[in-house]
Amino acid sequence: MRGIWQHRLRMLAVLALLVAAVFPLYWMLVTSLTASSDLFAAAPHMLPSLAELGIYREAFLNIPVATWLTNSAIVATGTMVLSIALGTLPAYALSRFRFRGKGLLGFGLFATQMLPEAMLVVPLYAIFGQLSLLNTLAGLILANTAFTVPVITWILKGAIDGVPIDVEEAARIDGCSQIDIVLAVVIPLIAPTLAAAGVIAFFHGWNEYVFAQTLVSSQELRTASVGLAGFVGELSTPVHSVMAVGIIYTLPAVIFYLFVQRYVVAGLTAGSVKG
Amino acid sequence: MVAGIGSRSMTKSAPPTARLEGSRWTPYIFTAPVAVYLLLFQGYPLVQELLLSFTSTSLLSPRDHVYVGLDNYNDLVGTSDFHGTILVTALYTVACVLLAIGLGLAAALLLDRPFRGRGVARAAVTIPWAAPPVAVALIFTWMFNAQYGIFNHAFRFLGLASANENWLDNPKLALPAVLLTTIWQIFPFASVVLLAALQGVSAELREAAVIDGADRLSVFKAVVWPTIQPSVALLALFITIWSLRRFDLIWLMTQGGPIGATNTLVIELYRQGFVYRELGLAAAVGMIGLTIALVVTLIYFRATARAERAKGQR
Amino acid sequence: MASITLKNVTKSWGGKPAVSDINLDVPDGEFLVLLGPSGCGKSTLLRMLAGLESVSQGEIHLDGRRVEHLPPSARDMAFVFQSYALYPHMTVRRNITFPLIMRQFHWWFHLPVIGGLAKRRIERSPEVTGLVERTAKILALTEMLDRYPRTLSGGQRQRVALGRAMVRHPEVFLMDEPLSNLDAKLRTSMRAEITKLHREVGGTFVYVTHDQVEAMTMGTMIALMRSGVVQQFGRPRDIYTNPANTYVARFIGTPPMNLIRARVEAGELRIGETGFAMPAHVSTAALRGQKEVLVGLRPESLAIVAAGSPATIAGEVAMVEHIGAESLVSVKLRHAATAHEEEEQEQSAVMATAPGYSDLKVAEPVAIRLTLSDTVFFSAETGERLAA
Repeated sequence: MRGIWQHRLRMLAVLALLVAAVFPLYWMLVTSLTASSDLFAAAPHMLPSLAELGIYREAFLNIPVATWLTNSAIVATGTMVLSIALGTLPAYALSRFRFRGKGLLGFGLFATQMLPEAMLVVPLYAIFGQLSLLNTLAGLILANTAFTVPVITWILKGAIDGVPIDVEEAARIDGCSQIDIVLAVVIPLIAPTLAAAGVIAFFHGWNEYVFAQTLVSSQELRTASVGLAGFVGELSTPVHSVMAVGIIYTLPAVIFYLFVQRYVVAGLTAGSVKG
Repeated sequence: MVAGIGSRSMTKSAPPTARLEGSRWTPYIFTAPVAVYLLLFQGYPLVQELLLSFTSTSLLSPRDHVYVGLDNYNDLVGTSDFHGTILVTALYTVACVLLAIGLGLAAALLLDRPFRGRGVARAAVTIPWAAPPVAVALIFTWMFNAQYGIFNHAFRFLGLASANENWLDNPKLALPAVLLTTIWQIFPFASVVLLAALQGVSAELREAAVIDGADRLSVFKAVVWPTIQPSVALLALFITIWSLRRFDLIWLMTQGGPIGATNTLVIELYRQGFVYRELGLAAAVGMIGLTIALVVTLIYFRATARAERAKGQR
Repeated sequence: MASITLKNVTKSWGGKPAVSDINLDVPDGEFLVLLGPSGCGKSTLLRMLAGLESVSQGEIHLDGRRVEHLPPSARDMAFVFQSYALYPHMTVRRNITFPLIMRQFHWWFHLPVIGGLAKRRIERSPEVTGLVERTAKILALTEMLDRYPRTLSGGQRQRVALGRAMVRHPEVFLMDEPLSNLDAKLRTSMRAEITKLHREVGGTFVYVTHDQVEAMTMGTMIALMRSGVVQQFGRPRDIYTNPANTYVARFIGTPPMNLIRARVEAGELRIGETGFAMPAHVSTAALRGQKEVLVGLRPESLAIVAAGSPATIAGEVAMVEHIGAESLVSVKLRHAATAHEEEEQEQSAVMATAPGYSDLKVAEPVAIRLTLSDTVFFSAETGERLAA
């Protein structure tokens, strides 16, 4: 019957899609667990071998992975905290208030998404130089936040749009001030989206490369993105060690993302789906 | 909780005008910090870049500007290399839009109908998007490797001739390779947006088309496509702007080479500034890229406004 | 010829039946109304007729052909949705033309240039444009042919939906509560239009609604459904005067038929404290030895007379509703009970009609005189009709 074959074909296509989506990361994992001798073998091994977990230990010993990851974590956390702190109130304002310049602000936030980091890095370098923020993780956090805040604001605005106004009006009648309403009433109601936005901001900071490369020069402050970038394409460091670092760097991002992707999707599509 | 706060506020004896609530200034107070922040860290640098583009400045002595007017722009526009850059950027952008949306739509259509494990599939498909670009560049570069890369292994296994090319060193293969990497990373975003759009397609409308005798493709063209078209247009806009911005992947994999095969505007910008140390030229390249992005956005808004007017007024 | 026959049609969702063992025989040209409350399975049945739902068991015959396994497009049926389901991105003209193009479709119509040209040729051909324009004229849509559905009112959209259904001249028209999205006034005028359409166009209409007024005024046959089972199938008049069970009795007619509890004792009917002679048209045998029965009488068969009159049931006025030409009076009976399922409080109120603008006041003591020759008897246990 036509129906069954169609279904089977469809399932096959879905399988192919999933394999394609997951394979490169899988391959990174496999390579990280492949013995040196096998890395350059004629035929590749397709399955990871747990016997090679020692590679990970070696990687930590030979490569300053711990330092890199710590720095990345600091930058990411700072970006997350600062983005949420800066973005929450404007998100509320854009959602609930009508005021002069609202359209301009909205457009401005959108316009920042058009600017490449590579373009602004030079003037930022100069500014940071004057503010003594060069070669500091704090500087990185500030720079990253500038690019993350618009996205966070937009996501939070979408979430606040979905909160019925009655709850706030009840609080107003009870005598709450505006700030109270935002902090104590609205925020708890959008907690899941807030968490998702936090995760997004975190990983903007975690994944960021250009600023981390340009604005920070000392080795102790190097982030994992820059450290890992140094290995791309070169073969002098053992590939499996490099891939091991890659996995350690990538896994948190993917795992956390899988946890919050429901809310990310909801936040994105609320605004972007029209018609 | 609300009652508790209420009673606390009730004990405040501030006169109404002093309370934040209802104040005319509240919206401005709420939005000022972010506005100031963005003006400082994005607006001001942008203005700097604009000014820089009219000067000749070296990376080594960034404070010394020599005013050259429009020379930078003229030089760029006149160079055939720059034409190549524009071409590469255009190719890259258009290919990204078409392929990411195409693949994203295919994925969304596949994941639209219910089946066992659909939730897992939907989540798994979004994984590429979660991976950090640096890691993606790393693994794909390894996969494209001439002797040891998995792609060439596969081609050799399938008996396809002398698959010994290093993709990223081959002027003909470098752009496709970078495109493949980019599409892999961004198609999940397209599929998520389109999946949401597909949910908005009315089942009754589909049934009406079926009863009218439409085959599957006709149902798609008459019912599904018109409904998801706004989302597709918005996606196209976003992917276009991102393609004009995309730096990490391309720079790490090919640095814009070989021989400019993957040299997009952003790459050119970076190279001018940090390799050739010509900050003025770099800024000019940046401005040109920004202008293109602005024009595309304008076209998008005009086109959607016109389309909506046509359907709604008539 | 477009007769419809349903044989033992059943539809189950994972073991739970939505529609059970339906048997209906609808001759060609009838206007069948599938009536019932929401969830009774009428829409499911309609969709099975259309081919939008599969049939778990049973057969569907159209004109003697078995069609239950055929896809919708092969069944020569047209469907009008509750939400009209107009193609929003096509003009009215295109909406109506669409089924005609699809009917002549070939696989290569999908090819970019050639397909477009072929489709346009069909669209512009005199037969097609003629059909579309004639359909538009019948439905008074001629001025709107080049407008988009979004700019039309509810009633206009409804007519476009009808036009799209009609233009193919199908043998069967299926309509799923097409009027429920319209306001009351529009509904009344559209009702008349649909009935007129049926007269002019012919063919068999199957119409789903929960509104029994629509059913009674539009249908030539009614199938009243409840929880997936047909309670009664027949002409509106029969269903009104001879309901098959208490559910039908209470569903049809506004206000619904009264069901008064009575005892059969020594060949007599005892209601409350009053005894009544058994009406002529009913024999005790017909009551099958039931001791307790339900006496079904429509409000127009109850008369309100002065308290204390002979051969009446005593009661007092509970509520009066002035409709204009008559008044609906709810009377609480003393010493008698009713069997009206939907009411929760103690059941003892019947509805009667009084002519004109009644002067009766609440709590006024009155008496009810019954026109027993109109009675339909029901079993007190099962609710099934015993005799009429």
